[in-house]
Amino acid sequence: MSAAENAKAVLRRLTAASATERILISFAALIMAVLVGAVIILVSGRITTCQTAATTLFGTGFCYDPVEVYLVLFNGALGEPFLLNDPALFNPDWNPLNFGFALTLKETTLLIFTGLSVAVSFRAGLFNIGTQGQLVLGGLATALFSFFVAPLLPSGLVGGLILIPLAVVIGALVGGLYGAIPGALKAYADANEVITTIMLNFIAAQIAFVLVSEFFGNPDSQVVETTPIPDWATLLPVAFPQGGDFSILALAFGLALVVAVWFLLEQTSFGYDLRTSGEQPEAAEYGGVDAKRTTVTSMFLSGALGGMGGAIWVLMVMGKWQAGVPALGFDGITVSILAGNNPFGVVPAALLFGTLKSGSLAVQFGTGVPKQLVGVLRGLIILFVAMPEFFRMLGSTIDLEPDRETVATDGGRLGGDDE
Amino acid sequence: MSTAVHLDEITKRFPGVVANDDVDLTVERGTVHALLGENGAGKTTLMNILYGLYEPTEGTVHVDGEPRDFDSPADAIDAGIGMIHQHFMLVDPMTVAENIVLGNEPRKWFGTTVDRERARQEVIDLSNRYGFDVNPDDAIEDVSVGVQQRVEILKALYRGADILILDEPTAVLTPQEVEELFRVFEELTAQGKTIIFISHKLGEAMHAADDITVLRNGKNVGTVKADETSNEELAELMVGREVLLEPKAEPQEPGDEVLSVQHLSAKDNRGIPAVSDVSFDIREGEVFGIAGVDGNGQSQLVEAITGLRTPTEGSISYKGGDITDASRRSRIADGMAYIPEDRHERGLVMDFDLVQNGILGSQHSPTFAADGRINWSDARDHAERIIDEYDVRPPHADADAESFSGGNQQKFIVGREFEREPDLVVATHPTRGVDIGAMEFIHERLLTLRAEGKAVLLVSSKLDEVQGLSDRLGVMHDGELMDIVDPRNTTEEEIGLLMAGERPNAAETDAEPPVGDAQ
Repeated sequence: MSAAENAKAVLRRLTAASATERILISFAALIMAVLVGAVIILVSGRITTCQTAATTLFGTGFCYDPVEVYLVLFNGALGEPFLLNDPALFNPDWNPLNFGFALTLKETTLLIFTGLSVAVSFRAGLFNIGTQGQLVLGGLATALFSFFVAPLLPSGLVGGLILIPLAVVIGALVGGLYGAIPGALKAYADANEVITTIMLNFIAAQIAFVLVSEFFGNPDSQVVETTPIPDWATLLPVAFPQGGDFSILALAFGLALVVAVWFLLEQTSFGYDLRTSGEQPEAAEYGGVDAKRTTVTSMFLSGALGGMGGAIWVLMVMGKWQAGVPALGFDGITVSILAGNNPFGVVPAALLFGTLKSGSLAVQFGTGVPKQLVGVLRGLIILFVAMPEFFRMLGSTIDLEPDRETVATDGGRLGGDDE
Repeated sequence: MSTAVHLDEITKRFPGVVANDDVDLTVERGTVHALLGENGAGKTTLMNILYGLYEPTEGTVHVDGEPRDFDSPADAIDAGIGMIHQHFMLVDPMTVAENIVLGNEPRKWFGTTVDRERARQEVIDLSNRYGFDVNPDDAIEDVSVGVQQRVEILKALYRGADILILDEPTAVLTPQEVEELFRVFEELTAQGKTIIFISHKLGEAMHAADDITVLRNGKNVGTVKADETSNEELAELMVGREVLLEPKAEPQEPGDEVLSVQHLSAKDNRGIPAVSDVSFDIREGEVFGIAGVDGNGQSQLVEAITGLRTPTEGSISYKGGDITDASRRSRIADGMAYIPEDRHERGLVMDFDLVQNGILGSQHSPTFAADGRINWSDARDHAERIIDEYDVRPPHADADAESFSGGNQQKFIVGREFEREPDLVVATHPTRGVDIGAMEFIHERLLTLRAEGKAVLLVSSKLDEVQGLSDRLGVMHDGELMDIVDPRNTTEEEIGLLMAGERPNAAETDAEPPVGDAQ
């Protein structure tokens, strides 16, 4: 077995757990990550030097207090609803529509798209790690389309209503086609999609860079970026403060897509084909599923969702395409794994990572702890989620899951002897 | 005569299941004892307890009159018990001798090196002593299944086993190999060994055993002497009611041709030719059987017919149209039902519940999915109907396919395929792993379909099954269709010879070269 095949097998195993198991694992992972994270914060607090110890344990002073870090983290991600050092506790000035919370929701929204993108491919048994590339090119297509078409339309609300949906569709189409490439390579040339999607990520980033720096760049700018789209053609913040770059419309669209993807997977013939292919390719073939076509279509769909993520990033966050696209596509993989590849699971998973991302800024400003430590915490969560075997073992010793051997009573060859 | 094994009031409970319920079993030294029962009757569980794989919930195991408490198979082996599982545990590229001594190798140079010469000699002595015909230097991958089984037996004997447990030893053998195995049994018991073998085939137990113990639902329902009982009595013990043992197809005049296979050749997954130049046809109201030892191209032939494998040569026509290149989906839509041989891989999606599995293959049909949206309430009704009609137990449509026993999985698949209202049923091993009651039912349904004028292609490694049900019987060996015979006027021996690749007239042809070719 190649390394890629191995990785795929591990991933399947990981996401095969039942929903209840999944939720338990995720919570256990979170708790373990918080605990181990606390230790790491303490240790790094010992290494750093500071004037006064933030906390003292066993007579030893530590520069960082893990409890404080976590409180600031979550408090900051919500825009400080609590006054941490005040007995009154609740912040009377807190408004849910604040900057910190907008930041959290911005990240959440973007991760919903990329998480869905990855979830669709994983459910089809395709290990698409190319969401990043699909997002980069989808975003670029959206930015260029909006920039060139905007002058042809009336500015203002009417123009926006026409242009924004079209721009998202263009982003989805380009992302989808870019996703269909590795799909077709797999279906018709037996090329491993893990390898091809990784490579296509680099290719996408370089193509976009060259296109923008050589042909479509903003002549007035020092950085590699496109000319900004007029404001009326972008997703402007509604209700939330300006600087947060969060539009509730995008979130609503993302949530609608969650329902749509769920519907597609669970309620349609195509979704049945897709899931069967992902669960058991031989059974899918037996059931008349055209494996090649399903592969290409699933990858198109996955890519389209990634491309829409890019479109939203351009329309909601940047107002233009700029080189150095954040790794939203890769974060989508972690979101999807945490969500057990379930579209509805993507929402809380994205919210968790959104919270960590936006809270890390608050940590940096509020405690002096470097925000990279929060990155370590995110890494730890994935590390622990990736250990379901470990948690399952824990679970079976305390008898969470009945012993699977119950079926092995039917005379050897019949029941569960196919391993 | 002394008692070799005595199981005293053994009860084994798994969560939610009582696999063995207060079972007593006494096996005399130097006899062959058959453990007979339907699937899920608890035979393998009971033997796994004797072999130390499971610990009994209640009861004790006595070996040679001593109460024993086995923690692991190692303890059982020490007590002189050997078990030969259904799936052989042999290392394919290694030789027969190496496999036999594996784990107990004679050593030299202060235990640092395996003494291969002595190992080889010991294996030769051992096989001579019991009259086994094995070459110690053959690689396992080069010898037949029958020989592999003898290697497994030698392995147990090499470890000093006096009591041999064999789990369904005949399932993988040709009739001739089965005969040979039973001769081995005689030789072993003549030298004082004790044999317990698990089976669900009445004939075998009657033929090879001295005593027969029947298990039903985990209980011992009776131990009888083989020469004092009858097939009918045993079947009734097994099932708990009277059973129609031999499927009998009433003669009937077949109608129009439904399937025609012409000069079909196909390769297996490794690219090695597996089917060569096979031609036959099936007509309405006809059961065409294919007999053969597993792995002689039947799987590839069936896959080519059902659209899962592209033939390299030849053509297939179905209901008058050429379908050689038609997709699997169009064949399903065109009324071709298919009971696959591998229910775990193909027939069911293990992590799907029965509602979802019930529409596998029909997910695009207008019955369940008009305009691309699956009607799950119809699908549920459908699954529940199958569960009800085909007696799938437990009757939980929401349970994952994985949680059902093999026999019940099979019943569900059979139900799903029969309910398609097919014109052609391709049934591969349709009763594999199901108990006698369900087998009778499936046979009946196949014959009903035949009476309704459907065409049936029946592939089975059970000779009595294909012989009893088929109107015409093709025998496959090494990818070729050796012959098509009338199953009602052909003996089991003749078919067995064809299965082994010997044409009745082949010897003559070899002996006398065709006259014209002399120069």
